[in-house]
Amino acid sequence: MRNMKNLLAASLLALCPLAASAHHSFAAEYDAANPVAVTGTVSKVEWRNPHIWFYVDVKDDAGKVATWGFSGGAPGMLMRRGINPDAMKIGDEIMVEGFRARDGSNNASGGKVTFADGRSVFTASAEDVVPK
Amino acid sequence: MKVQLKQLSLGIATLLMCHSAFAADATTIPRMASGVPDFTGMWAGPGFQHTGTEVDNPTAALYDDKRMSPFKSGADKTFIRTTGDVRIDDPTAVCLPNGLTRQIASPYPQQWVQTDSELIILYEYMHFFRHIPLGEPNRAHAPVFENTYMGDSIAWFDGDSLVIDTVGLREWLLDAFHPEAGGSRWHSADTHVVERLTYTDGSNVNYEVTIDDPSTFTTPWTQPWAMQRKQTWKLFEFICEDNNRCEAGVCQAADVQLDDQ
Repeated sequence: MRNMKNLLAASLLALCPLAASAHHSFAAEYDAANPVAVTGTVSKVEWRNPHIWFYVDVKDDAGKVATWGFSGGAPGMLMRRGINPDAMKIGDEIMVEGFRARDGSNNASGGKVTFADGRSVFTASAEDVVPK
Repeated sequence: MKVQLKQLSLGIATLLMCHSAFAADATTIPRMASGVPDFTGMWAGPGFQHTGTEVDNPTAALYDDKRMSPFKSGADKTFIRTTGDVRIDDPTAVCLPNGLTRQIASPYPQQWVQTDSELIILYEYMHFFRHIPLGEPNRAHAPVFENTYMGDSIAWFDGDSLVIDTVGLREWLLDAFHPEAGGSRWHSADTHVVERLTYTDGSNVNYEVTIDDPSTFTTPWTQPWAMQRKQTWKLFEFICEDNNRCEAGVCQAADVQLDDQ
């Protein structure tokens, strides 16, 4: 049943248009010239305002783990789209595509998430901007 | 002649259809005991793509520049501001308020509470509120001692339309317009906003916003929008400062990232 709920949420997300502008503009915090794509394991999900954040442990070739943070939409915005906090869980294997924070830290706008089972969804980030 | 008559008939029919699409069946409108329309309820405002269901798509609405009247001489330079300073280009990124004209178009719900003498609007986004006395049309506003983000609003009924009249706004953002390089659109402190709300059926409202900004535009102009009632929604907390982790482009490390420092 939970899988069905997640699938429904993913389907709804996939249908969402790309321009959402929740709280602030993309340019205020992220660098459109610096796309990122990482694959790893979800280590934490913060369902908090003004945007949700989720964290992904990413291993490099030497086995060293770095934790990336990705910003998504506001909790209220996600829930009005039918997306609930259990849509992404600790331990999920995901690939995230987005744009790096302007300060060059391991943080980014998480525009698009692909789960291990192939579901490809948008995170309803403030900007819903994904690399082309 | 036949063709002209056909075209005339088609034109009249189209006009009638447009009119009937706009005017609600009076019996479907929720009403107060006094008979005026009752706007009490949870609403998805213009900042949503309305679906007619309880799942909507939040998308900040922008005022359509094609509807705007011509600029006063030189006002185009104060209307769009691109400074590189986030407090000007995008003040909400540092948790400053939307201001009224942007709040109307915000992609967050609002709850309206109407009595015979007043209207309260509670906005989820940043917990802003409006306390709007209902009364006689076109009466005087209370003295404005200080221009504010939400201004001073009064309201009255014009037939089945609710009219909300606002003055006393500070110079602030018009909407959530952000050019790619940053920047924003601004109205002046002389702005007078008139919202006109008319039910089109029991759950949908035509929401017209007239912007009268004589320092910026040659004449007032009107933006037609809509809002839709949501039976099961409720307001959530929205604390902008709670976890605004990359404010102004400088990110604070989360606890799970501290080992990476």
